[in-house]
Parts: sequence; C-alpha cells; structure tokens
Amino acid sequence: MSLAGKLLTGIICFLLCFPLKVSGWDWQTRVTVVVKDQPLKAVCEILEKEYGIHFSYSRELVDLSRKVTVTAYQQRLRSLLEQLFAPEDIRFTRVGDQLVLQQIKRSTHTISGYVQDAVSGEKLPGATIYAPTLKQGTTTNQYGFFSLTTVKDSNSLIISYVGYEPALLPLDGQTNRILLVPLRPLASLQEVVVSGTDKTRLQDQTQMSKVHLPLAAVKSMPRLLGEADVMRTLQSMPGVGGGMDGVGGLHVRGGSPDQNLILMDGTPVFNFSHFFGVYSLLNAEMVKSADLYKGAFPARFGGRLSSVVDISLKDGDMRNYHGDVAVGMISAKINVEGPIVKDKTSFIVSARRSYPDLLYNAAANMEDDAGNKGTVYAYFYDVNVKVNHIFSPKDRIFLSLYKGEDNLSIKGMVDSTADQAGRITENSRFQLGWGNTIGAIRWNHIYNTRLFSNVSANYSQYAFKTEYGFQYNMPSTGQASDLYGKYFSRMKNVGVKIDFDYRPTPNHAIRFGAAGIAHYFKPGLMDLADKGPNPVIPLDTMKKGLDIRGTEMLLYGEDDWRLTENLYANIGVHLSGFLVEGRFYHSLQPRLGLRYMLPHNWAVKASYTHMNQYIHLLSNNGTSLPTDIWVPSTQRVAPMLSRQVAAGIAKTSTNGVFEFSLEGYYKAMYNMIEYVNNNSILTSNLERWDENVALGKGWSYGGEAMIRKQKGSTTGWIGYTLAWSTRQFPDINQGRIFPYKYDHRHDVEIVLTQQIGKHWEASASWHFTTGSPLTLPVSSYHGAGTASPWDPGSGVDVSVDRYGGRYNYRAENVHRLDVGISHTKQKKHWSRTWNLSVFNVYNQKNPFIYYMKRDEEEKQRYLSKVTVMPILPSITYSIKF
Amino acid sequence: MRSFFVYGILLTTLLTACEERVNIQLRYEGDKIVINSLLQPDSVAYVRITRSVPANVYDEGGFTEIGNAAVTLLQNGVAMSPLQQQQIKGRTYFVSREKVTNGNTYTINVSAAGLTPVSAQDTLPVAPIIADAAGQKGSTRVVFTLKDRPGAADYYRIRLFAYGPDNQPDTARGFRLDPAFNNNLIDVIANTHNDALIMDDTRFDGKTVNFVLETQALINSSRMMLEVSTMTDGGFKYFRTLGMQYLGAGGLLAEPAPVYTNVHNGYGIVAGINSRRLVFDTE
Repeated sequence: MSLAGKLLTGIICFLLCFPLKVSGWDWQTRVTVVVKDQPLKAVCEILEKEYGIHFSYSRELVDLSRKVTVTAYQQRLRSLLEQLFAPEDIRFTRVGDQLVLQQIKRSTHTISGYVQDAVSGEKLPGATIYAPTLKQGTTTNQYGFFSLTTVKDSNSLIISYVGYEPALLPLDGQTNRILLVPLRPLASLQEVVVSGTDKTRLQDQTQMSKVHLPLAAVKSMPRLLGEADVMRTLQSMPGVGGGMDGVGGLHVRGGSPDQNLILMDGTPVFNFSHFFGVYSLLNAEMVKSADLYKGAFPARFGGRLSSVVDISLKDGDMRNYHGDVAVGMISAKINVEGPIVKDKTSFIVSARRSYPDLLYNAAANMEDDAGNKGTVYAYFYDVNVKVNHIFSPKDRIFLSLYKGEDNLSIKGMVDSTADQAGRITENSRFQLGWGNTIGAIRWNHIYNTRLFSNVSANYSQYAFKTEYGFQYNMPSTGQASDLYGKYFSRMKNVGVKIDFDYRPTPNHAIRFGAAGIAHYFKPGLMDLADKGPNPVIPLDTMKKGLDIRGTEMLLYGEDDWRLTENLYANIGVHLSGFLVEGRFYHSLQPRLGLRYMLPHNWAVKASYTHMNQYIHLLSNNGTSLPTDIWVPSTQRVAPMLSRQVAAGIAKTSTNGVFEFSLEGYYKAMYNMIEYVNNNSILTSNLERWDENVALGKGWSYGGEAMIRKQKGSTTGWIGYTLAWSTRQFPDINQGRIFPYKYDHRHDVEIVLTQQIGKHWEASASWHFTTGSPLTLPVSSYHGAGTASPWDPGSGVDVSVDRYGGRYNYRAENVHRLDVGISHTKQKKHWSRTWNLSVFNVYNQKNPFIYYMKRDEEEKQRYLSKVTVMPILPSITYSIKF
Repeated sequence: MRSFFVYGILLTTLLTACEERVNIQLRYEGDKIVINSLLQPDSVAYVRITRSVPANVYDEGGFTEIGNAAVTLLQNGVAMSPLQQQQIKGRTYFVSREKVTNGNTYTINVSAAGLTPVSAQDTLPVAPIIADAAGQKGSTRVVFTLKDRPGAADYYRIRLFAYGPDNQPDTARGFRLDPAFNNNLIDVIANTHNDALIMDDTRFDGKTVNFVLETQALINSSRMMLEVSTMTDGGFKYFRTLGMQYLGAGGLLAEPAPVYTNVHNGYGIVAGINSRRLVFDTE
C-alpha cells in the first residue's frame, strides 16, 4: 500500500472510530456512583473519570458545592443526572462529547401569611414553615408572620409548632397570597418543653445563645407558693443564675440584673418583680412565650449589656369566650378572653392580687372589734388588658395596658400611751408603694408577601413612692409636731419604633428599623415638713432629686444570609445615640453570627456582639430593690459597653426528640459602676451620684451544655454551666480583680416533666450551684474613741474588723429539689386542675446571708448563716372555662 | 378558720428565718501592731498600743496591750520627748510630755519584739465655732449654732452627754438630727438614733446654722453637755467607715465596709481632732 493509501486508510479509520468514542456513553448508560457527603463537583469528577463524561459549565453561574450522598448502582445516567441537578435547578445538555450545565432562571414565588391557633386564633411566633421537597424553610416572627420566597416550585408546606398538630398545606395557586394557617393544639400537654432556638432544629438556626420558653414550660415547672413564674423558669437555664436564695433576679453570663433588657410585647420594663423579687410582675397566664438571648444579640436589640428577655403576651381568643380562675397560697387571679367581634376583634383581661393582708385584717377585726382600728395592707396586684383588632388581612392593631404595684399601707395606728421620747401619737399613716405602668399600641402591616412591618408606640413608667404622716404631742412640754413627708421616684420611657421584616430571596432574611425613645428621669424627690406649731427650719432646701430628660435614637439592620450551601451568617449593625444634658453619646455596634454545617447535621456556630447601655442602675451590689434608681450617663460616668464572643455546636436529633448544645463565651464589660461607700441611695445627694460610684471593668467567661428531650411523655432537660465572672474597680479591693457577687463556678439544672395518663402530670427540678463569694474578716482589733482617757465617753471598747480583700471565701454550695404534681379533670363545659407543689423537698438549709455574729449569751463570736426558704408545700386550685 | 391558721403557719414558716452557726476556720493575717491616738491640740498626746486578734475572738480583753512597745512621737519629723507609759482607768497609754499644737504634722512610730514596726501620721484641725446650746427638760430637742468656715472642707463629730448624780457628763445620749431639720423622710421612717453623728459640711459650707437635734429619750437631766469636734480628713474617713461597718453588720445588701486606717504595716488610726464643749442647763 502506498503511503497515500495508508494515510487515507488511517483517516477513514480515525473518522470511523471517533463517533464510536464519542458515543462511549449515552443517556441510557448505566453508571455506578457511591459517595457520602461529597460536593456535586466530586460526583461529576467520578463520572468523568469512570465513564468519560466531560462536564462543561461556568463556575460563576453554576454552583456545584452542595454536598450530596449518592448510592446509585447501575442507574441510568439521565435518571441520576436528574436526581442530582434538579434540586439545584441545573439544566444539562449534551453538546458533542460535552455535557453542558446551565443554571435555570425561574421566577420566584413567595408564600407568606400568619400561623395561628386553630381554636383561639392566637398568633404563633416561632412556628416552622418547611417545604420538604425543596428542603427550605423559615419561621414565623414574633407576630406570627412568615414569608418564604423560593425559586423553585413546591407542592406543599409542612407547618409545625411545639404543642400543636403539624399541618400539611397544599400550595396550588396559593403563591403570592397572604395565607392564614391554623394549627390545632394537641389534646395533652406533652411536648411542652423549652425549645432551644424557636421550633426548628438547632442546626437550622444561625442564632445561638437563645432559649425559647413557651407558656406550657412555665406552667409545668414546680411552683413556689402556688405561683408559676416566668423568671424562675428562666433561672433554670444554663448560663442564667438567680440572686440570693428565694429572690429573683437574672444574672446572665456573669452580668448584673440591670444589664437585662426585659421587653413586654416590645416595651421595656424597669423593674420586673413583685414582693422584693420573689415573683415576676407578670401573671404567667398572660404569657404566650418568652425568648431569652444570652449572647449573639440580633441587631434589632440594644440598650443593655447582658441579656434580652423578649416576652410575647397572648392576644386574646378571636372566636370563643373562655378564661380561668386560680387560687394559690399567695394570690388569686382571673383571666378572661374572647371576641369582641368574632374573627375581627378580641380582648384578654388578666388580674391578680395577693391576699394575705385581707386574711390578716379579717382575723384582726374578728379578735379586736372594739380596739385598735388601724389597718395594714400589704399586697401586690397586676392588671393586664389587651385588645387585638384585624382591620384587613394586611393590617392589624394591638393595644395593651399593664398596671402592677406592690403596696404597704399602715393607717390610723393611734396610741394613747407615750413612747420612750414621751410622745403621744395622735395620728400616723405610712404608705409605701412601687410599680410599673406600661402601655403600647402596635400596628402590623403587610405591604406585600415579602415585606412586613410593625410600628409601635410604647410607654413604660416605674414609680416608687413613700409617704409618712406623724402627728404627736408631748404633754410635759407642750411640744407638738405634725410631720408629713414623701419620697418619690419616677423613671419613664416614651418610645416610637418601626421594624421591617423583608424576605427578598431565599438566601436573605432582612430586618431593619429605627426607633426614638424619650427618657425621663425624676428620681429621689423628697419633701418633708413639720406643720406643727413650732416648725423647724430645715438645714437646707437643697433639691435632692434629679429631673433629667434624655433622648435615645437607634437604627439597625440585619441579614440572615445563606452564603454557601453550608455556611450561613447573620450580619447586623446597631447604631445608636443618646442625647442628655447637652452631651451626645453614640455607638456603632456590629453584630455577627456564623453557622457552618458539619457532617451528620451538626452545626458549629460563632458570634460576636457589641452592646451599649446608656443608663445606669443605682443599686447596692447588683441586688434589685424597689428603691432602685436609674440615671443616665454623665460626664464622669460614660455609657457601659460590652463585647462578647461565643462559639459552640448544636444539633437536634433526626426525629426531633433530643436537642444538644454546647457553647463557650467570653464577655468583657466596661464602665460599670458600684457604690464605693455603701451609702444609702435614698439619702445621698443624687445630683452628685457619680461622685459616689467607682467605675470599673468586668469579665465573664465559661461554657454551657444542655441536653433536652422535647417529645414524648417524659420531657425535660439537663443543663450544666461552668463560669467565671470577675470585676475590677480602682477604688475597691485595692484595685485588684475580685469575683462578681454571684459568681458561681458550677451550676447544674435538671428539669423533668412526666405525663401520667390523661389527667396527671408530674414535674421535678433539681438545682445545684457552687457557693457565692463571701467576704469575711481576717482579724479584729481595738478601735479609737476619744482623744483622752479623761474625755466623756472614753473607756467604751470599740471592736474593728479588718477585711483583707473582697470575697476571700466561698459560701457553701446551694442545692434544692422542687416537685409538683397536677391533676386535671375535664367537665362538660370546664376543666379544673389541682396542683400540689413542694419547694425545697428535702429542706436543704441554703444560705441567704452570712454575718459575723456576736453572741452575748455564749460570749462567742462566730460566723452565722441565715436561711429563709425551708420546705414549702403549696396548693393551687384552678378552673378553666 | 382552720384554713386560715394553716395558711398562717405556712406563711410564718416562710418568713421565719432560720439561723445557725457555721463552723469555719477563719483566716488570720497574723498579729499586727494597732495604734489608736486622736490628737487634740493644746493637749498631751495619748497613744494606745494593742495587738490584733483573730476575728472570732469575743473577749474585748483580747486586744492585748503591748506594754513593751517602743513608741516615738515626732513633730514635723523631729522626735519629741520620749512618751511615758501610764496606767489610766486600768489601761496602758503612752503619753507625751509636750502638748501637740496646730500647724504641725505629727508622726507616731511603734515597734515591738516579734512584730513589724508601724508608722502613722496626721495634722491637727482648727477648732469648731459653736454657741447657744440649749435644751429643755422633758423635751427631746437640743439646739445650738455652728459657724462653718467658708471654702474649707470641714468634718464634724457631734456628741451629747447628760450630767449624772456626780455632776459629770458621764452618760452619752442617743440622738439624731431632727428629721424636719435634716429634711430627710428616711430619718423619720427609720427612727434610728446614735451616740455620735459624723458629718461633713457639704450641705452648709460657710454658713452659720442653727442645728436642731432630737434625743432618743426625753431629756431628764438638769444639765447636759454638747461636744462638737472637727476632724482631719483621715479622722473623718476613719469614723465614717467605722460607722458604716457597724451599720452594715448582718445587713442584707451591703458588703462589709473596710475601716480606714492610716497606720502603715499595721492597723488603727492616728488623727487630729479638735473638740469644743458647751454645757447648758435644761431647767
């Protein structure tokens, strides 16, 4: 064969062979691919290597980073490719021997609406909306509104909320409409336990350091003297500590109670307690849910350093009238709710009053009809009223009012016998009272399926008042006096706020808003005068109180952003300014949350937050009292600020039964204040308060672990906290770092609830915490009295205790078991429940305070421990109709 | 009625605090020299030297005197005549030969075997200007006039004594500023009286003020004595913090207050004090 012939033969052979090679695969080719948690790109590389299938695509337009698990044995190629690329909207086309990949551009669909209780119409914040075929989802916001924008078609959504039957919602023709999704409550109280981050799986939430508390969780806890209590329930969470034994107060991640922002339907509350901190100011029956943020604060919150407690109150049943009445050991309460106009307007009214004083007065009158007509009233009460009106599917308005007070009133205790000073009392009256007045009006508006807004105006006032009147005469001298005085403190806020919730694309959930708050500080006003015949000229007429106005402004924006298939971020910024007495403080507070999905559905999360606080609480050692006074920052005392970083892992088991979270945090706090000389706040000159405080820093760090079972007849959680919290003030403890008063190294909380049949529910909680810091003297010595031993008053021995440093000891560990059992019986039109709770079942004598006692009888001096909360059984009877 | 009592018992259980002794080994800083000396102008100096004890010691006699201490008094850094050890009313004092006077700085150095030497120093304040003390038997009111120096930070201690059968002002009277005079409602409600009142002149700097005191019990003595003392800054800090320590003992809220000391390497106080006394009849 000639050379030309050979070449021709070769070319022919090449041309004949080429199509054979190109057609080495076709759509029906059976392929085998087995990968686990590998990106799509890896699957493509296997196909290319094993079967010669070349992929052609633009890396900028086509995202092959999604991790997939494929188990395909001898599967047809087209079938496998559809399975791989369809969820990503990737089109594949054969061009020659190339498989060309293109991203399909489709119009987006938005599904939005409200999720509500099917029976009462109550909106459900934090409910989950999930498209199973698309593996996409969202949650309702605090007003029960959701918006889910997707580029893909979906046939149906699954809507779920703890304590409710999940619902399947077909979506045919439902897109771009505002839906109303009713969920039917479960018959029993199972699945009532706290959920870590809303109701979705922990790994699906970028938000960390958050606890969601539905009403049912509060109600299922053992009770103290018959009262279910929101704050007590929150204290049983990791990272949250209480104050002195038996007294409330939240100490979140080493922060003091004044660093907590407590919001009631978005309105800040100054003092959230009754009865010196034993009870929350709110009737638990009014609470729909509460969210506690310990860190990773979303940008929409600001103004406090350490925590945000966002409490949502019930809106009122839109369809049926019902309510409940309950009588406990301390208080009686009633709640009524129902429609004013069915499915249009609803109301809810709640009232509570403690009644021991009524029993006391009744008994006193019975035993002493003719004697002393004096009366003593010591009680607390609170009243809540809320009205909710739907103007249109896009507009609804809420009006809420709260008034709560603690009062002590002693009247007409006439005493005809002279006292030690020879005074005969003609008349005396004493009144002491404090409380909050809160009002808010909110307007929810849906602009379109992607944009929701809430406009609110709120008013919050805390006032403390004491009055004293004392008329007496002294027959021996004719001296007479008619003293009348009052002390008054009032702090109030008036604010306007607008919040937007915008879901433009599946990868972004944006919130932004603005607010303006006017602060009025009028604390410490005192007026005392003797109107008797010989009035005394006062030492001074110096005004002891303050009268200051301040204005706070803020802007915020945050985006819950899906950066890649496995990486999510919540990026936000909170910009605020505070204008007071000609000074302007401002701060730019970045907020960042990150989440990265690990194999096996574990999420690793991290956050950074910066918080500012423009107002300071003048209190003794972080212990909240009714006399607490809030004051704005001054030239000397700048606003407080904190920086917190946190990191952790979280997972909800596949069946949703167990949740596990582990977090570590580090928080630095600046410009904190503490009274340097233990002055009485009431009697000190408030105009110069900033001269009596020391400015210092604080650090808190530690870790929190929580495992929780949230489904089934047995629910509950085990929480453990390892924490350090320290302070440093130049003028205290010689400038050395010392622990925070409520620094507890270890804290364990175990809470269990057991459903027993249809009628019984038992609960138990065990709490253990290591001892608080304690300051004890390191020696004692003789004190000075007079210049000369010949002076009057000499020879009196004065003993002085020497304190080497603050908190040189630790108090003993504190632990306590509380149990409760409820029996509910359904009648024809109502149900009744008995609850028996026992606080401190094994009567552990936990320390309340310690002090060095001088025992004159035993002629000894020793450390004495005072205990105040022994075993306390209580019974509550309630009727629900 | 039964339920009422059940309720009452339970509530009482809650409100009745239980108290018990804690057996704990308190740390002890070790024995230190304690100097106590309030220096009165135009008077000899009396210096009392004791030894500190562990905090759980009850017996005040436990404040053992250090009889063999070497005590030196310096005026403006120059040693004065050696102090004489004297027994007065059963106690040991180191007494100077010369009187201390205004315008000087006084330093007391003390050393004793087995203990770290200590040192303290202060000046002397000017005398208070007081007049017109008066009170009426059978009443609770005592008045006097105090003229404060303008522009100077003055610190005062006020005490009240009743004359006894020996015609000596030997009984300290509990008193307070009249609540209406003090313009303080909390005084009325708290109804507490003390043997001494420690105050600064923040509220009446440079003014002549007619003070009104209210005694705890009726004035039943025919003669009384009012003592007003000025103090140095160190003396004021000492008495104020001492008062706060006593006030806060066993308190719910306040941390124990450390008492001010200006004794280097030891405890106690060396402070100038200048007392003036007014005696008045109450008939």
